[in-house]
Amino acid sequence: MPNTWSVTNSRMAIVLAVGAFIGWLYDSIAGGLFVAAMAILAWHMYHLYRLEHWLRTNDIEDFPTGLGIWPDIFARVSFYRRRSRRRGKRLRAVLKEFRLSASAFPDAGIILDSDNELVYFNRAARELLGLKKRVDRGQRLENLIRVPQFLDYLRTEDFDDPVEFALPPTGDIWVSCRIIPYGPDQRLLFLQDITRSKQLEIMRRDFLANASHELRTPLTVITGYLDALIEEESIDDLLRMPLKEMQTQSSRMRTLLEDLLHLSALESSEVSSRDEKVDVSVLIAAAKQSAKALPHCPETLEVHMDSNAAILGVHSELQSVVSNLLINAVNHTDPGGRIDVYWVTDEAGGRLSVVDTGVGISADDVPRLTERFYRVDAGRSRDQGGTGLGLAIVKHALKRHEAELVIDSEPDKGSTFSCVFPASRIG
Amino acid sequence: MNEFSNHIYRKFNEDLENLRTMVMEMGGAVENQVSSAIEAIVSGDSALGLSVASNDYKINAMEVAIDEECNRILATMSPAAADLRLLITVIKTITDLERIGDEAERIGRLASQLAAEERPAGSYRELRSLGEHVQEMLHDSLDAFSRLDPVDAVSVVEEDKLVDEEYDAINHECISYMMEDTRNIRRFMDVSWVARSLERIGDHATNISEYVIYMVKGKDIRHTHTDELRDRVLGE
Repeated sequence: MPNTWSVTNSRMAIVLAVGAFIGWLYDSIAGGLFVAAMAILAWHMYHLYRLEHWLRTNDIEDFPTGLGIWPDIFARVSFYRRRSRRRGKRLRAVLKEFRLSASAFPDAGIILDSDNELVYFNRAARELLGLKKRVDRGQRLENLIRVPQFLDYLRTEDFDDPVEFALPPTGDIWVSCRIIPYGPDQRLLFLQDITRSKQLEIMRRDFLANASHELRTPLTVITGYLDALIEEESIDDLLRMPLKEMQTQSSRMRTLLEDLLHLSALESSEVSSRDEKVDVSVLIAAAKQSAKALPHCPETLEVHMDSNAAILGVHSELQSVVSNLLINAVNHTDPGGRIDVYWVTDEAGGRLSVVDTGVGISADDVPRLTERFYRVDAGRSRDQGGTGLGLAIVKHALKRHEAELVIDSEPDKGSTFSCVFPASRIG
Repeated sequence: MNEFSNHIYRKFNEDLENLRTMVMEMGGAVENQVSSAIEAIVSGDSALGLSVASNDYKINAMEVAIDEECNRILATMSPAAADLRLLITVIKTITDLERIGDEAERIGRLASQLAAEERPAGSYRELRSLGEHVQEMLHDSLDAFSRLDPVDAVSVVEEDKLVDEEYDAINHECISYMMEDTRNIRRFMDVSWVARSLERIGDHATNISEYVIYMVKGKDIRHTHTDELRDRVLGE
């Protein structure tokens, strides 16, 4: 505002000149100038006082008026104050909207900073975890959710899969927890109440285990009598055939029940311990021996050990993985074909593969192979005495070892079944 | 405060905060052990009971690690006032947590013994109820520790009276079962031991709450009668 400034400056000059003139009349130009300067200073101080006084009040519309440069300053400050208040209002409205929608969210949501300190949490989080609205802000999450599985999950920094755990004190409530990193170093944590589905899963598992267990007892009695009857010499030869058939079928039923029990035991706990070092060559040797015992085993069954590393896990579970894979390969390969077993490790982990030159599997069937009782060719596999549970057992046993089953197959060329173990399981 | 001392101060604060988190982590592991031990008793799962017993070494290792960290902070930082109270509280708290771990280990062993015996009609309902009570006390005392909340701590101390009453009731019941049929004596001795261990866990949780009150308020309220406790701690 050059105009206002020049007016203000010329007014100041006039006041000083008048002061000097009056001073000259009284024989003291310096005294006159001094009085005039003091007057100008007092005038500015008065306006400053009014500005400060007005800034203290909330009444931004009613700004003070004045002379010279001051009305401009008042108007400008008033404009900025109005604008910032408008922006603040808009921001508060957006924030309120966000908080409302976050609190309406049925899952518990928590925002964490780089030290895992709570920045924000919604109402579901308060209800599910018993967090306290004001007290817990800034508190570290590890101090409030102290469940060991959760702390391990938080430490691994690997948030691809959610983690499930029971909430203390009584462990009646199960939650599934997911962490989503965002921004430079922030995390969004979601907790979902999965108690109902967990209960259903437990009920289903218990039912399966109990039913298999209950069926085993009568079956033992039946097999016992059948064994005795077949030994009996006075039995009519006409009955011998059906009795033999009954014996084979009942022993099939027993393997089936044992596999079911085995499977439900594998499903009942989450992760197997890493305390035991399992020698892979021992696993393969035992599996090879039982495969060789099968009548239709191919001539060529070779083992290629590229590594001496052991797997950290449970021996019996890993043994059933290797045996099942090898027996499957034998069952689906002609006696003229070949089977190769490989054990390879590198810094990413270990890979145990069973490669056969058998019938292979079409791409449509591969994803469903590990389902229980799924059969590609129903007639064929049942003739060979399979229970339809082998690969389901393999899958669950591997899952408990944090490993993965990778199937690679082409019809009429052969299949490769690989167990891929993470580096943390190799020792 | 110049930049150097500012840095030291920040590092010190971070150390204390990490120490607190270590204690809470140990608390979480202990809570997990206790709930698994109770689960093993109630569902008659002997494998779970044995795994609780064999996992106790982890708790002991945590106690040793926290103890060392406390010594290091005491030696290098010479803390004073509230910081010193925090350290003293941590040292005492981990001892009680470790003892709770030992009680859980004992319950786990007893669970594997009891699983082999015939189960009573109520499936140890009283033990489950006492167990839930004690688990809540432990949980609340750890929450009070992490929130530095004396109100919660006081209610844990008050709760202990109810746990003692429940423990007495279970003991009376055990005695009457034993008198009814002497063949029951072995089994109900075990039940009585489990109840005893649970009651001890409640006592240790009470101790932790008392340390929290000491840390926050600087008042020693051990051996205070529960009736005047609330007034002494919260009435300023």
